[in-house]
Amino acid sequence: MEPQVRIRRWPWVVIALSLAVAFTLSMISPADSVQGDLVRIMYVHVPSAWLAYTAFFVTFVGSVAYLVTKNLKWDRIAAASAEIGVYFTGLALSLGMIWAKPTWGVWWTWDARLTFTFIMFFVYLGYLALRRTTDDPIARASRSSVLGVLGAIQIPLVHFSVVWWRTLHQPPSLIKPDGPAIQDPLMLTALIIGVIAFTVVYVALMVKRIELIHLDERRLQIEQSIERPVAGEAVTAPELGAT
Amino acid sequence: MKRYWKFIVPAGVVVVVIAVLVVSLSSSLVYFNTPTELTEQGPTDARLRLGGQVVPGTVADTTTGVTFEVTDGRETVDVVYVGAPQQLFQEGIGVVVEGTWDGSLFHSDTMLVKHDETYSTDEGTYDPEHPFGDGSDQA
Repeated sequence: MEPQVRIRRWPWVVIALSLAVAFTLSMISPADSVQGDLVRIMYVHVPSAWLAYTAFFVTFVGSVAYLVTKNLKWDRIAAASAEIGVYFTGLALSLGMIWAKPTWGVWWTWDARLTFTFIMFFVYLGYLALRRTTDDPIARASRSSVLGVLGAIQIPLVHFSVVWWRTLHQPPSLIKPDGPAIQDPLMLTALIIGVIAFTVVYVALMVKRIELIHLDERRLQIEQSIERPVAGEAVTAPELGAT
Repeated sequence: MKRYWKFIVPAGVVVVVIAVLVVSLSSSLVYFNTPTELTEQGPTDARLRLGGQVVPGTVADTTTGVTFEVTDGRETVDVVYVGAPQQLFQEGIGVVVEGTWDGSLFHSDTMLVKHDETYSTDEGTYDPEHPFGDGSDQA
């Protein structure tokens, strides 16, 4: 028998504290001179997009590590990370749309950044679906690792789409060669702390998600170890006479 | 070594396919044309997008919409826009207008406001009662 899975409580505390700090800063930071209060959407939108990149990159690392070592530990990391990444991609997409309607005038338009993000969202939804096509852990790990590696091509494509092509979406504000394009110190602090807080939330969610995978595997093990009557058990093979 | 080819060959194929797609789609991945490109290329029948900054002092109301000039810093194009301008439309802001180019005027019926990557609180204090200006400066 394997030891019991340890249930940790600290991730919930860490998540609550980080979100509280990020929320407070986004509310006390000043309104933008053009957009007004709409700018506050940025304090969730940008960290969400950052988390999506980070999560899918971790999925990539986990997938490569699995293909090299064949250790299922890496597959668990890749799977947990992809799930969190899909959630935050969806959050970034939805918040972006809510921001775009009053700012651009439309909910959606097919510019390069939006189109590539849309594709990335569905490719990783496909990754999660692919994981459900088999209950054999080895087959599941190898199949999804290949997609986890290939899918990562999209991360630079999404991020640099605003630099490589002319898009309606603005280029990055924070990571620029000549420094951030946000002058107000409180705005900049709110955004940077937001990114850090979301990263901490990601780590905490990963701990809980991997814990859940272990619990799930444990449940399966217990289920399989329970002895059940097998059809035809009463029938014994006829003995062959020695000839 | 043999089992690595199982991954390297399909991965190579996928990378090549993506590269070909991105290169061949590159022109349609460009969301809008600049005033310089429009002036160089001349009038076309095709519907296209024009992007640039609204030149301050050129915005004028018409009975059906607004007219203004759009610039990229080198060339300027006159835009005749039919319809209600977007909420954030103002002098000096970035816009992307959709329509046709007849060589001297850009006829548009669809307008998007392009927000740039800068955020500031510089221009006066923000008044929550009038988030998009007090109405008097909306030309």
